[in-house]
Amino acid sequence: MDAQSAFEFIRKRDFDEVVVRKLSTNIQQVKFSNNEIDITNNWNESGFDVYVTKGRKIYNFEVKNERELERSVNSAEKALKLLDDNPDYIKINSEKYNYRNRTNRFVRISEFEISKFARDFIDENIKFAKRIGGTIYKKSMELEVVTNYNSFKDFNAGIEFNVRAFNENDVPTQQSFATSHDDDLDEIHMVGEELRDHLRMLGKTVQGSDGTFAAVLHPLFFASIVSYTIPMASAYQVDSGISFFAGRLNQKIGSSIFTMYDDATDDSMFGSRIADDEGVPTKKTPVIEKGFVKNYLHNTSTAIKLNSQSTGNAGIISPSPWQVTVEPGTEDPKEMIESIRDGLYIVNTWYTRFQDYREGIFSTIPRDGIYRIKNGEIIESWSGIRVSDSLISIFKNIEGVSRETKKVKWWDETMYSKVPYVYVSKLNITKSK
Amino acid sequence: MQNIDKYLNYLNRYTNFSEVYFSETFSNGVSFKNGSLSQVSGSTSSGYAFRAIDKSISFGAINQENWSIVKEHLDRIIENSRIPGRDKLSHEEVYKDKWSVPVQKKIEDMDLEDKISILKDIDQILVEKKIPMRILAIGDIKQREFLINSEGTEIEGDISKVGFFGAIGYYEGGNFEQRFIQLGFSGGYEALEYWDLYATIGEEAEALKKSVIAKPINPGYYDLVIGPEISGIVAHESAGHPTELDRILGREMAQAGESFIKLGDKGKPVGSPQVNVVDDPTIDHSYGYYKYDRDGVKARKRYLYKKGLINEFLSNRESAGRVNSKSTAASRISEWDKDPIPRMSTTFIEPGDFNFEELVEDVKLGIYMKSYSEWNIDDIRFNEKYVGLEAYLIENGEIREQIRRPTLETTTIKFYSSIDAVGKDLKFFAGTCGKGDPMQGVDVWMGGPHARLRNIYMR
Repeated sequence: MDAQSAFEFIRKRDFDEVVVRKLSTNIQQVKFSNNEIDITNNWNESGFDVYVTKGRKIYNFEVKNERELERSVNSAEKALKLLDDNPDYIKINSEKYNYRNRTNRFVRISEFEISKFARDFIDENIKFAKRIGGTIYKKSMELEVVTNYNSFKDFNAGIEFNVRAFNENDVPTQQSFATSHDDDLDEIHMVGEELRDHLRMLGKTVQGSDGTFAAVLHPLFFASIVSYTIPMASAYQVDSGISFFAGRLNQKIGSSIFTMYDDATDDSMFGSRIADDEGVPTKKTPVIEKGFVKNYLHNTSTAIKLNSQSTGNAGIISPSPWQVTVEPGTEDPKEMIESIRDGLYIVNTWYTRFQDYREGIFSTIPRDGIYRIKNGEIIESWSGIRVSDSLISIFKNIEGVSRETKKVKWWDETMYSKVPYVYVSKLNITKSK
Repeated sequence: MQNIDKYLNYLNRYTNFSEVYFSETFSNGVSFKNGSLSQVSGSTSSGYAFRAIDKSISFGAINQENWSIVKEHLDRIIENSRIPGRDKLSHEEVYKDKWSVPVQKKIEDMDLEDKISILKDIDQILVEKKIPMRILAIGDIKQREFLINSEGTEIEGDISKVGFFGAIGYYEGGNFEQRFIQLGFSGGYEALEYWDLYATIGEEAEALKKSVIAKPINPGYYDLVIGPEISGIVAHESAGHPTELDRILGREMAQAGESFIKLGDKGKPVGSPQVNVVDDPTIDHSYGYYKYDRDGVKARKRYLYKKGLINEFLSNRESAGRVNSKSTAASRISEWDKDPIPRMSTTFIEPGDFNFEELVEDVKLGIYMKSYSEWNIDDIRFNEKYVGLEAYLIENGEIREQIRRPTLETTTIKFYSSIDAVGKDLKFFAGTCGKGDPMQGVDVWMGGPHARLRNIYMR
């Protein structure tokens, strides 16, 4: 059953508005560790996500099995009679739209042999590394959305590759690559090159020190930071009060060279969409522009509630970001590192947790290349440190942004992201005692 | 479900090992945001997951029953199983059994109005405590699962779970504090009495308000008395995760990482002799309860650390097979369509002999850390940080004023080696443990007793 048929079936019942979203995915994954393939995964799934309304009442149900659709609709009808009006739901978008065509191509992506790539990658790089592990995904998705006012179909496909390698001293580094455009696909072969560069540079590690340091943050590191930041710009989360962005609209929270977008229109990434879940065309929305909080992310209801415009980020109840991009700057990454007199160059981080979402106070654990830099030279690699800092401090201390960006998607730590290298003049480092 | 044997027979024709898992779930959720109904939802999900081994392990999941589509999917799984790679599972006893979670108040008997009413009542408690930021949710899930494999395993499970989540925030004097409250229970809506939900929420709100106005400590060395919530998170992060055998073998090396524990480290010291850390999936009503794991291996209690020594690993058939040992029945999945990997269930520091007063009475200068906010640990599970939320100063054996955000940043060995006394109480807390690629968040309990650490750096 397609989304239109499901919509017609549901619309016969006593509802005011119906939104049917059908997502079908076909995903292949090869996972390998210590130079051997562990497992090959294949997922072939589809399901419906449905919202039905009566006045200001709204009910949501998900159905993975079409046979359950009628039972779920019956439950929804019954539930709506019991509900109070929902202040988080005002209306769905009723304006009719025409939708853009995608600009990305994925013929080569569709033909890409991931298990052969994984095997070849291990064979080509094992002479430079003691051991290698990672995952490679090939994904395709077909999305259909039907509302009382609009309908659209969207297709996308992508390749994601993450690899971690350990040098002869068992010191790790990591690289990430993601694309949804045939034109970028060959860049996957650059991953091995950068991995080998780091394997040569890492050497042995020594225990790092606490203190405040200047630092160049690799795109993988900074993608993680902005991936934790931008979901808090959802107007739903702002409205709840538990958000770094609450009360900060139009306030300066970062350096004037820092601009961060939610950009579903960059079709070269898998998080791109032509329209949101209520049929509003997506756009490139500056969330932080030249250091100022510029926009929250809205659906139709939150936009009405907070006297704004939809940014094409529905979620019918809670808007959410699609993918994050950071405006590139003018600098060369190598020169940024060489400009450090006394500081750090950090490749990756994980386990970011906030003690204070409102003020953006958090810590995160650097990994996969923590280089101590003195007078522009790497003098040693560190381990055992933690960044204990705040978003405002990091964003305000951005003093350099590279012209080069990388598209990354690593595990659950980053969204689909296109991010440059950044130089921060102060980064607070702590360590275990 | 009716095709489960047909699918197994098809896979079995072409591979050395084959397995079919079917699951059907029904779930419901209601949430409130700052006093108003926000989301009401219901979901159904069902599908088949397959595992086949020839030259390597091949996994697949599909939620369609059209035979031509399923056959194409199975053929791809068979083809992928011929890619050279790791191909061993441990040899285990074969079971044919049915199991279920005992339920008193059935999920299907709990009306939507009742769930809304519960959240309204909780919200009202928080309003009376003047808590301005309140996100509350209650949800339940019923699951039927069937597992069969080419070795003769036939396991049928019937699972019910109820969960509560609250996120509350409080401002005063320019300071903000937040608290996330997660409660989980395998069973029915008798969970509400088990949790003592209304009293729990009231106590959390009071503690949050006090923490905002509390004063920070002077950095230095203190004795530290930890509450069961801290025992639980530490047991989970620095005993449970590092003893997962797949991490030790490197299978998570590019994601959640590895372990400071190596394969030959059983018997090596990790803490003082008072330290016993257990993972036990068989505790009645625990959030991660199971009788058979996802591989069909019978569940049992595991001593991860025993008398301060590394004792046992958490393994599934895949990881145990790689080292020619038996599985310790830790194979779990977050949803039906994910590949099984070693996971924790209920992880806790085993109680000792001390009551709370005895732990505190000879502390001259110390800290009592009852709950935490921020925490994290490195990817070998050695360097960790816990920021106290509800915490108090201890002076001359007496609990004094509440203190703000005392921070423990230490190592696993230092933490467990500093324990000199373990309480006789035991309390569990719910959590969602993340691991795997794609990410699999599984329901767990974690907990323990109060315990005392001597002379540890706090800031």
